[in-house]
Amino acid sequence: MPTKNVTDERLSKFKNKGKDPAKLREKRITECVELRKAHKNENFLKRRNITLSSLPDEEALSPDYIPNEDSNNIPVIQVTHLSIEDIIKDVNSDCRKSQTRGCQAARKLLSQERNPPLKEIIDAGLLSNFVSFLSMDDEPTLQFEAAWALTNIASGTSWHTQQVVEHGAVPAFISLLSSPMLHISEQAVWALGNIAGDGATYRDVLIECNVIPALLSRISPDTPVGYLRNLTWTLSNLCRNKNPFPPLSAVQQMLPSLVQLLHLSDKDILSDACWAISYLSDGDNDRIETVVKTGIVPRLVELMSHQELGVMVTPALRSIGNIVSGSDLQTQTAIDAGVLNVLPKLMRHPKASIQKEAAWALSNIAAGPCKQIQQLITCGLLPPLVHLLRNGDFKTQREAVWAVTNLTSGATVEQVVQLVQSGALEAIINLLQVKDAKVILVILDAINNIFMAAEKLGEMEKLSLLIEELGGLDRIEMLQNHDNEMVYQAAHNIIEKYFSDSLTHGEKVDATEDEFAFQSPDVQKAFEF
Amino acid sequence: MELNDANLQTLTEFLRKTLDPDPTVRRPAEKFLESVEGNQNYPLLLLTLLEKSQDNVIRVCAAVTFKNYIKRNWRIVEDEPNKISDPDRTAIKANIVNLMLSSPEQIQKQLSDAISIIGREDFPQKWPDLLTEMVTRFRSGDFHIINGVLRTAHSLFKRYRHEFKSNELWSEIKLVLDTFALPLTELFKATIELCQTHATDVNALKVLFSSLTLIAKLFYSLNFQDLPEFFEDHMETWMTNFHGLLTLDNKLLQTDDEEEAGLLELLKSQICDNAALYAQKYDEEFQPYLPRFVTAIWNLLVSTGQEVKYDLLVSNAIQFLASVCERPHYKHLFEDQNTLTSICEKVIVPNMEFRSADEEAFEDNSEEYIRRDLEGSDIDTRRRAACDLVRGLCKFFEGPVTAIFSGYVNSMLAEYAKTPRENWKHKDAAIYLVTSLASKAQTQKHGITQANELVNLTEFFVNHILPDLKSPNVNEFPVLKADAIKYVMIFRSQLPKEQLLQAVPLLITHLQAESTVEHTYAAHALERLFTMRGPNNTTLITAAEMAPFTEQLLNNLFKALAFPGSAENEYIMKAIMRSFSLLQESIVPYIPTLIGQLTHKLLQVSKNPSKPHFNHYLFESLCLSVRITCKANPATVSSFEEALFPVFTEILQNDVQEFLPYVFQVMSLLLEIHSNSIPASYMALFPHLLQPVLWERTGNIPPLVRLLQAYLEKGGETIARSAADKIPGLLGVFQKLIASKANDHQGFYLLNSIIEHMPPESLIQYRKQIFILLFQRLQGSKTTKFIKSFLVFVNLYCVKYGAIALQEIFDSIQPKMFGMVLEKIVIPEVQKVSGPVEKKICAVGITKILTECPAMMDTEYTKLWTPLLQALIGFFELPEDDSIPDDEHFIDIEDTPGYQTAFSQLAFAGKKEHDPIGDAVGNPKILLAQSLHKLSTACPGRVPSMLSTSLNAEALQFLQGYLQAATVQLV
Repeated sequence: MPTKNVTDERLSKFKNKGKDPAKLREKRITECVELRKAHKNENFLKRRNITLSSLPDEEALSPDYIPNEDSNNIPVIQVTHLSIEDIIKDVNSDCRKSQTRGCQAARKLLSQERNPPLKEIIDAGLLSNFVSFLSMDDEPTLQFEAAWALTNIASGTSWHTQQVVEHGAVPAFISLLSSPMLHISEQAVWALGNIAGDGATYRDVLIECNVIPALLSRISPDTPVGYLRNLTWTLSNLCRNKNPFPPLSAVQQMLPSLVQLLHLSDKDILSDACWAISYLSDGDNDRIETVVKTGIVPRLVELMSHQELGVMVTPALRSIGNIVSGSDLQTQTAIDAGVLNVLPKLMRHPKASIQKEAAWALSNIAAGPCKQIQQLITCGLLPPLVHLLRNGDFKTQREAVWAVTNLTSGATVEQVVQLVQSGALEAIINLLQVKDAKVILVILDAINNIFMAAEKLGEMEKLSLLIEELGGLDRIEMLQNHDNEMVYQAAHNIIEKYFSDSLTHGEKVDATEDEFAFQSPDVQKAFEF
Repeated sequence: MELNDANLQTLTEFLRKTLDPDPTVRRPAEKFLESVEGNQNYPLLLLTLLEKSQDNVIRVCAAVTFKNYIKRNWRIVEDEPNKISDPDRTAIKANIVNLMLSSPEQIQKQLSDAISIIGREDFPQKWPDLLTEMVTRFRSGDFHIINGVLRTAHSLFKRYRHEFKSNELWSEIKLVLDTFALPLTELFKATIELCQTHATDVNALKVLFSSLTLIAKLFYSLNFQDLPEFFEDHMETWMTNFHGLLTLDNKLLQTDDEEEAGLLELLKSQICDNAALYAQKYDEEFQPYLPRFVTAIWNLLVSTGQEVKYDLLVSNAIQFLASVCERPHYKHLFEDQNTLTSICEKVIVPNMEFRSADEEAFEDNSEEYIRRDLEGSDIDTRRRAACDLVRGLCKFFEGPVTAIFSGYVNSMLAEYAKTPRENWKHKDAAIYLVTSLASKAQTQKHGITQANELVNLTEFFVNHILPDLKSPNVNEFPVLKADAIKYVMIFRSQLPKEQLLQAVPLLITHLQAESTVEHTYAAHALERLFTMRGPNNTTLITAAEMAPFTEQLLNNLFKALAFPGSAENEYIMKAIMRSFSLLQESIVPYIPTLIGQLTHKLLQVSKNPSKPHFNHYLFESLCLSVRITCKANPATVSSFEEALFPVFTEILQNDVQEFLPYVFQVMSLLLEIHSNSIPASYMALFPHLLQPVLWERTGNIPPLVRLLQAYLEKGGETIARSAADKIPGLLGVFQKLIASKANDHQGFYLLNSIIEHMPPESLIQYRKQIFILLFQRLQGSKTTKFIKSFLVFVNLYCVKYGAIALQEIFDSIQPKMFGMVLEKIVIPEVQKVSGPVEKKICAVGITKILTECPAMMDTEYTKLWTPLLQALIGFFELPEDDSIPDDEHFIDIEDTPGYQTAFSQLAFAGKKEHDPIGDAVGNPKILLAQSLHKLSTACPGRVPSMLSTSLNAEALQFLQGYLQAATVQLV
């Protein structure tokens, strides 16, 4: 429902002077409710453990494998597929061996590909047993199996995760992080990652329990890559989610390590670290500032264009997109790092989602002062922008339209002329037929801005004719029938102002009889201008 | 109001009375109902009646009354009382869905509307169970009920198609999807199955197909904002079935009606829209289905007839193809030569044919025909859609498409040539095809501005257009004649001049055609040709070239106005205006006749002005006659006055509001031609022009101000001498105008003329009051526009009366006033003054203040001397400050109370810009240098010392430049 505020905001856009460029920047924050399927290319919130990198031996993954007690401290236990009833019996027995057997059987059930019986295990009341096993440092196998089982339960729905947390698993897992057994520690990392991934509430519970120092202390030059991958992913979940954001102090704690991780070469570590940065930068300018201050921007720009590391493009681009939605100064760091040299390639990327993100980033740079707009033009961003307006998919076209409108609101007259000459006007006119009221309104806004530039050049008539030639007049006239009141108004205003014979409007005054009396007013107070 | 039988009885009686044709019975009943509608239970009484009344008429009447009651009262407006009691609201919401579904269709529609009005306010928060209640009815199996639910859902959801994305809106859509999407999908599948089982039962099919159409509409609304997860997951179901329905034909559902679209057409149109929506917005997900839809839609087009009832379907279907074929990644679907040929042959050409409906419009509804054909309001027509498809295909396949169509054009022309009488429509289609193929960009002003280079327009003109224009019988094949004229008109920028010249006399001949479309097109074409510009920016066609045809042109134009239906034809009147403008003094010999015809026309239309454009061009033509004739011989102005004043008097006396602004403009034009005296006839009118009633109409203000300015310019002395008692009234107008933010500049125009042209002694007693009024407005509500005008006026006053007079009058109003105005207004704001004349006035005025005002040298004003000089130098050298404070942008809108008659300025009544300073000052910079030099010799040493203490270096440098240019020095 168009409220008064929307109208005011709209009116403020018609004003050519004194407008606040920050208001033009389109922020992601506003998009909360989604109708679409969750993004396919973003990383996972929670993961179930089917493999583990730090397991002492690859063969441990084989269900038939029976580890050797002497070498690995894992007792030899013959595991068969037990029923839930048997598992309950085993886990509740006093015998360590039975407990281990039951626990391992439960873990295996929970690791099966399809329909793991998460709820059944919870309903069987086994969680408190599992949690108590976590603290049995002298029973590493049992500890490990319990950790694994709990990890997989925590990977379920929010309700599943809640059960794990409410059974007191959080402190137990955090102390398990310091286990001398790498695979047990890694399992704890994983479990904590699942809990953090559930949402802001549990994320902050973990932070309160000092999970961050415990995690960071495991990073060293000798940490195996596989372990680091899991750890980076867990860190990324600790950075994730808004409403509220993770506490600033926690962010400050993590950032140096994230920066460090971003200089490694492993693709998965880089990807998750980059996602972490993208979450941290997805906020107000203060949040963005904490990221920018680390000096990571040039590295992000580098990762954006990394040929071999295709997976990096999305999170790096997202991070940079977030940063350029910040203040002019923050945007400038990205420009200085060369983002404008990288964007053209991404705007022609084969994947539509990348084109869209690149156009979004560009739209925010275009909302900057005319100096930045000039850099954008000098770096040759107009041709790829027009290309996207013409050939992009709808979501990309929408971002590209925003870029045009933002640009026309802050640009100098010369810059607007360059934009029009690049073919952008023709392209946005073609888009006036899209089935999206907001996009249409944004285009009409751009047309209005272009007219204001033409007015300064004294070329209004030339522009009117050009728009008519490009078929724009027909389209704008048609929009006067649009059901959306604001679209109708905007179209009507443009027609009235630029496409009809000039009509001057007058004003009403009050009257007497035959003629007006010229009355000398009483001067009561002194004039003071 | 109790819910009892007595009240039901009373209400029934009053409802019956509201249907009475006699207003004396009807009105009081309506009044009564309005007076009781605030009572509790009133809506429930209506619901009871519409459900239970024995009389069907009363039931329907109660339903309509109920819907209107809901429409007026349901919304709760902040700070206003709640107009429907909460128990009533709850009761209505609890019963209305049931009631709607169990009512007969007439009542169902009213209640469905009422539900959507309530839903717009209450759904979903305050009416959470509405949807679930509706959805359960899907299972009723009764399609009367199901259609009621679907129709209501459609009116609830259709706003998703045009509203802006917001969290609130999307949360609602999410909620709707959660409860509605799956049942809708199930219903869709079930309905399609039922269509198969009832394939031979026409009545069942009708109901089922109207359900399917509603379902397809709901699909569109629910998928509009974004692609919902549910529909992405169920795309296969929906698209497969949509595709199936597109290809379905059932003889039983075909209608005999030629005009009204049948159920099949409506459903298929909606499916085309749905496919177009997905193709445009959800391209990635829809890609696997798209080729199938292209084929289906194209087959649909091939098999659909010419009847009007298919128009919407055909135009939607063609638009779908047009939007798809422009996309680079679907190019391959069209590039095969056979595909292209088939699209051209079976889709485009048939839809470009002239149909009997077009023929009817051409003959009987020429205005509508012209609007569609000439002014582009043909957006939804088949021809337009076909045209768009041609353009879309040309993006990638211009060569092949042009080649294919050339073949068709030739064969259609050959058909025509064989038997013109039977086959003239083939030629019409051929011309249309050539036009749509050739035109790549078009404007009203220039016609087609970019043409397809593969089409030889000149050759086509010579071989196929010119012969039609030359045919001796202008009334034969009027459609083809109109086509030929239109061809000349739209390709005027592409055709060589000699061919245009060849066409001109032929067009003049066609002004005599009986067909309204034909002679209108001829007038329009001539008008357009006469506006064309040649290489040196003169008109392309010259008056000399027109000389042989002048008489016939003027004759035929006025004769054309005599055709029935063309008495107020704006195209013809515009052509008259344009011809006058082009022919200039060649029309002088004909003026006596022409002016007679024009005034006669004016007298006629002033009885009942109905065609604003016609009237406007009529007045423009009058102005042109006056200008052209009086330019050669100013003395003839009196003969125009003789001819026009009687009509004008009648217009003024009858207060023909639309015409007054025009009359004032023409009078201004006439008066300005007089040399420095004002005829008595004008003076007699003067008091009437000051009447407040005239100034109340906004459209009168600009022309009246101009007319008064003309009075002052020609008769300032006369007014002072013989109408001094009118001076207060004149100043009263100024006072009125100055009070308004929108009109204050008009007030200043008037004031400037008064100061410039009235003898000073006639104003002495008013001067102080004038300034007080200006200061009050300055203090109360100053705007940039006001300040600019104020500055010009103050400086004009200074130029006219001298700097000392200015300073004295300011300081007589309030001590130190002069200094305050300089410091707070002149110095900081002068940079905003725009316009060469205005700037000159300010420069000269400020120079006088600096150099001819002793107070500036010897009082506390001295400290302002250098800042004022610096401001003046800045005024000369710096760019104009065109900034406007934010809160001033909408003054014109805010201050205009509603729509009022607009003022239409007559271009040919235009007035030359007036420069009150004129040649007395050539270069204001030199004047400044000379004046400073004079001042410095009067008080040696003072000026250089003031300059050296506080003028900034840059300004000083500029000043030295002026001194050098004037070859003077300061001492």
